[in-house]
Amino acid sequence: VYLLFQALRQISQRTINTASRRQYVNRVSENQKLFQEDNGLPVHLKGGAKDSLLYRATTGLTVFGTMYALYYLLVSSMPKKPN
Amino acid sequence: MAHQAHSYHMVDPSPWPILGASAALLTTSGLTMWFHFHSPYLLIMGLTSTALVMLQWWRDVVRESTFQGHHTPTVQKGLRYGMVLFITSEAFFFLGFFWAFFHSSLAPTPELGGQWPPVGIKPLNPMEVPLLNTAILLASGVTVTWAHHSITEARRKQAIFALTLTVLLGFYFTALQAMEYYEAPFSIADGVYGSTFFVATGFHGLHVIIGSTFLSVCLLRLIKYHFTSNHHFGFEAAAWYWHFVDVVWLFLYIAIYWWGS
Repeated sequence: VYLLFQALRQISQRTINTASRRQYVNRVSENQKLFQEDNGLPVHLKGGAKDSLLYRATTGLTVFGTMYALYYLLVSSMPKKPN
Repeated sequence: MAHQAHSYHMVDPSPWPILGASAALLTTSGLTMWFHFHSPYLLIMGLTSTALVMLQWWRDVVRESTFQGHHTPTVQKGLRYGMVLFITSEAFFFLGFFWAFFHSSLAPTPELGGQWPPVGIKPLNPMEVPLLNTAILLASGVTVTWAHHSITEARRKQAIFALTLTVLLGFYFTALQAMEYYEAPFSIADGVYGSTFFVATGFHGLHVIIGSTFLSVCLLRLIKYHFTSNHHFGFEAAAWYWHFVDVVWLFLYIAIYWWGS
C-alpha cells in the first residue's frame, strides 16, 4: 500500500506541475495579436463569440428590466380604485 | 490605417455607459420595489446588470491597455488624476458619517441619558477583535507595499506571494467583522448609537470588500503577466484604494470604537 501511495504522489505531483506550467504560460502576446487585428470590431466585441453572447445577455436583461421598472412606475402612480 | 497625431486615447464606441446608467435605474427602483412592495425581482435584475456592466467595462479597459497599448504616459496621468479625485470623493462620503457621529456623541441628548455611550448600550471592547482588525489592516498595508516593490524589482514569485497575503488579510478582516456584527449586543435599530455605528462601519466594510475584489483582480492579472516593472497602474490604483480603506478604519477605530466607548 505504501508503494501505491508513493506512486500516486509522484503522478499527482507531475500532473500538477504540467497543469501549472500550462496555466502560467505568458499569453499576453497572443492576446495582443488578437486585439490588434484589423477587423473593424469594437473592443467590447473583439474577443469573439463569447463577447457577443455576454453583450446580448446584458442588453436583454437591462432593456427588459427598464421596461419592467417603467411599467411598475406607471402602475404605482395610478390611484387605487375602491370597490 | 489612420494614425493619431496626439497621445490621448479615443475609445471605441461602447454600450457600457448607457447600460450602466440603466443598471443604476434598475437598482434604485428595485430598492423601492423591495422596501415598499416586498418584491425583490427588480433589485436582483439591477444588481446583476450592474455586475455584468462592471465586468465587461473593466475587461475592456484591460484589453485597451495591456493588449492594444493605448495607455500612453499621457493617458496614465489622466487615470492617476481620476483615481485621486475618486478617492477624495470617497473621503468626503465618510466625512459625512463621521460628522453625524460627532454631532450625536459630543452633546448627547437627555433621551440618551445625557451620556455617550447612551444608557443601555454595551459597546464592544476596543481592545479585543477591533484591535486585531486594526493590526490586520496595518499588516495588509505593509504587504501591499511589499508587493509593489516586488513588482518594480521584477520579482514575480515574491510579488504574487505578497499580494496573495494582502488579499487573505482582507478576507480575514471581513470574516472577523461579520462575526462581530453577528455577536454584537446592539443592533442598527438601537437608537442613534446603533445607527452611527453600523452605517459608518458598514460602509467601511463594503469598501473593504470592494478593495479586496480590486486586489484579487490585480493578483489574477499579475499571475497572467499583465504588469511590467514600470507600467502597472491598475495595481497602484488598487494599492491607493486599499491604503485609503486602512486610513478610514484607523479613524473609525479611534473615534467610534475607542473614544466612543
